[in-house]
Formats: sequence, structure tokens, C-alpha cells
Amino acid sequence: MTMDRRSFLKLSGAGLGAVFLDSAAVIPALGAEKRLAMLYDNSKCIGCRACQMACKQWNKLGPVSTDPQHLYESPGDLTPDAWTLIGLAEYKVNDRRNWLFINKGCMHCGNPACVAVCPTSALKKQPNGLVTYDRGLCNGCGYCTQFCPFHVPRLQVSSQFAGVAKSSKCTFCQDRVANNLRPFCIQSCPAGALDWGDRGTMIEQAKSRVEALKAGDFPQANLYGENTLGGLGRLYVLLAPPTAYSLPQDPGFPFAATLWKKVVQPAGEVAFGAVLLGLLAAFFVVRRNVHMEEVE
Amino acid sequence: MSVRLRGTDSAIAIRWIPKYTTLERFLHWVHTFAFIPLALTGFVLFAPWMQPLAQSSAGIYLRALHRVTALLFGGVPIVYALLQPRRMMLNMKEFLTFSKYDLLWLKGAFPYYVLGRHTDMPPQPRFNTGERLTAVVLVIGTIVFGATGLPMWFLKGSMPVGLYQVLVILHDLMFIVTFAMFLIHFYLAVVHPMMWQSLVSMRYGVVSESYARVHHAIWYYGEKRARQMWEQHQAEGKH
Repeated sequence: MTMDRRSFLKLSGAGLGAVFLDSAAVIPALGAEKRLAMLYDNSKCIGCRACQMACKQWNKLGPVSTDPQHLYESPGDLTPDAWTLIGLAEYKVNDRRNWLFINKGCMHCGNPACVAVCPTSALKKQPNGLVTYDRGLCNGCGYCTQFCPFHVPRLQVSSQFAGVAKSSKCTFCQDRVANNLRPFCIQSCPAGALDWGDRGTMIEQAKSRVEALKAGDFPQANLYGENTLGGLGRLYVLLAPPTAYSLPQDPGFPFAATLWKKVVQPAGEVAFGAVLLGLLAAFFVVRRNVHMEEVE
Repeated sequence: MSVRLRGTDSAIAIRWIPKYTTLERFLHWVHTFAFIPLALTGFVLFAPWMQPLAQSSAGIYLRALHRVTALLFGGVPIVYALLQPRRMMLNMKEFLTFSKYDLLWLKGAFPYYVLGRHTDMPPQPRFNTGERLTAVVLVIGTIVFGATGLPMWFLKGSMPVGLYQVLVILHDLMFIVTFAMFLIHFYLAVVHPMMWQSLVSMRYGVVSESYARVHHAIWYYGEKRARQMWEQHQAEGKH
């Protein structure tokens, strides 16, 4: 890992601060800042997986066994110890079979379902667009893993019987971003396929890149994530339709999450409150009306 | 049993009629003391204002407790079915038997139980309409909790996420119904002044003859006689 002197001093300061503050302060409150985003350009990606390695290094993630069924992807899918993954798809472009790489990880949705269903606030949507994760608050319920439209968060299960687990996902290196550094994967990309900055600027950049690719050899080039789910924080410049990369064409906020969190649970609380109040009122009415000498 | 009245030589004789077996009472209390922590630990994930208890180690321990008490809760009917299968079938049959008197009972329940009016209620078997409805909800609840909770516990990650989402919602809907029912059951059995013998019966297994006569006439007199008495009583009332 290389680091300039300014970055080193900033990180040292943050580290010293963290020693004196509680765990909640490790993720500094991010103020009303402009929304940040990552831009992944498939046309520039060489599939070297430096981003995967950088992610592991910065976040201190353990090794993962490879799956021989997957020729290039290693591991075969995201895991609790693989938050970023270079995926591979084969697709015919201009009658030529092409390798399509894709940088997989948390999409940092503008309207994240994982945050809506998280009962602990371990997952939070920050004003700067990051969906941050506080491992200390997580109780391992795993709802985030079941409601994410992109199936990103993974559960690290210590005991299936007792339900002891911790969720995990890419945080865009929330500790680095909080200290005005870029996510480490972006810093590591040798091909310039990953970029980072103000989301509006990233979208403009992506759109002009898409136009250039369309004018060239890739008529199906497109920008993925501009308006999806409140706008994604991980934007993709793709060479082929999203489905070629196994991305959902038009993912929506899960209806079940809305029904559960906005209808069923509030209705339940109202019902319990109404029953308790009703019984309390009934108790006082009954006490006044009942003549115990007539009760069998 | 005779009870000597304090400060007098008078004695009154109370005839007690068995209503529950020892095993039924024991399992009822196991069920109760499994349900309360089960509901409360579930409620922690249900209500946003309980969030501090859902977080960190507290949340992990409460989720583990939810699982242990769930096994206890689900184990009670299995133990009952194994040890007293005929008795269980008899009760189940009774729970599922409804008659025209049940509609009349429901009609009269509000003024009787809520307003405390000492009006006549239609004759009832060993379990009144409310008790039978509670039992039916509990049986359905046990099945739904098992059918939704066990896959959520053991098959998370290996079942389709759409199915998991449906199970979560069904689990919560059943919780709303059963917990509301539990609150009403608790009030009627423990707090309501007219129903004090229901708690006695679950403690000692018996109800007094006079209580059985008033509250469970079909059980006490038999269906034919209870019906005749009710019809006669109704006819006299109209005159």
C-alpha cells in the first residue's frame, strides 16, 4: 500500500481519534455533503482483480476457497470475505464473442431496501450517498441479505442453531471516505476503469463515455444505475445490456419490504395499543358494574 | 369440600368438578412461560422503539432466546399428543365444534364481559365460545409459526428470497393476531373479576359446581337438558 504524506497524517489523526472515542465514532457523522459515487467502466477493465485484492487488504478480509466450477471468477460469488468481485460474462458483440467484466459489490442505492429492513440501524444511508455498516450494532438477523434487490449483503454465520451471525458488504471504504480518501479499490485500479467523485460529475462522465462507445464498436453501450432505486452509488458503463451481466434490468424497491415495514408492523403496533387501551377501559367499566356477591 | 365461614359455626359445601388434567395444567404453564419471552423477543425486532435492545450483543442473545423458547412453545403440543393423545383429540374435537349458541354468546359477550352486566348467557360446553376461538387461533398460530419460523431459521440463504419475504410477513401477521389474543386471554383469565375461577381451574384443575352450572351448562347438565332449560328460560323471559 502506498500513501502520500498528507494521507498518512490524516489517517494517523483519525486513528488516534478513534482510540479515544467509542465505536460509534469510528464512522463519523457525514454532514449534508454532495452525493458521491463510484463509476466502473467495463470498456476499460482488464479483469486484473486488483480491486478485489485491495478490498481484502484494506478491510482485512480473510481468504476464500475458490470454486473450480467458475473458470475466471474467484471466488464464484460475493462472500462475507469477498466484498468486491470481478465477475465474468460472455456475450456476442458485433458477432464477436467478448468477455464482459463487471465489478460486483454493494450498489449503495439511493433508496436502499437493506436499510429499510435493518432492525438495528447497523446499516445507514448517509447524506453523502454511502450505505454504511456498523458491525458492532449488527445482530445477524440477515434481513438485509433477503431484501437486497441485488443480493449483495452476505451473512457470516458462526452458529446456525443459535443464529449467531454478522452481515457484511462493501462500504465504499467508509472509514477512508470519512477522511476524504477514495475507496481503496479505486486507488488500486491500474487501468483507470474505476473512478470516484461527485455523483453528478460521474454521471456526466459516464454519459459522454457511453456516447463515444456507441459511436465506436459498441452500439449497445449504456449507463446503468442513473435513476435505479433512487440512483445507484455504483454506476456502470456497460458494453452490453444489463442482463448480459446478470444484472436486473429494472430492479425496484421490494414490495414485500414496503408491506412489511410500512403496513404490517405499524398496523400491529396500533392493534396492540388499541387492545391494551380497550382492556384498560373495560377493566374500569367492569369494576364499577360488577357486583361480586352475584358472581359465581 | 366444606368451608367453615369465619366467626360462625356455619359451613358451606363446595363441590369441585375436574376440568383439566395435571399434565394439561403443567403444559399450559410451560406454554405460557414460553410464549411470553417468545413474544417479547420477537417484539424487539418488530417495534422500532425497541431498537436499542435489538442491537449488538443484546440483539444476538435475544434472538438466541427467541429460538430456544420457540422450541419449547412448539414442543408442548407434541408432548401432549404423545402422553395424552385421546384427551388431546377430545379437546380438539370440542374446540372445533360450534353451534347456534356461539353466535348468541358472541352477541352477549360485550355487555357481559366488558360492561359487566349480569345478563343470561347461552349454555356452553366445557369450553365457551371465546375459549374455543382462542384455542383455534392458538392451534393455527402454532402451525403457522412453525411453518414460517423453521425455514427462516434453517433455510435462510438456500430458499428463494421471495419466499423468505412472504414467510417474514406471515410470521409477523400471525404474531399480531396471537399476541392480541394473548392480551385478551390474560385479561379475562387473570384480571376480570367475573372469571376468577378460570385461573383457579388452571391452578388446581377444578371449577366449582355453581360456576360450571352458570358458565358451562351444556357440560354440567348435558346438551339436551341445557337446551330445554335455556329455551324455557327464554320463554319465561318473554312473558
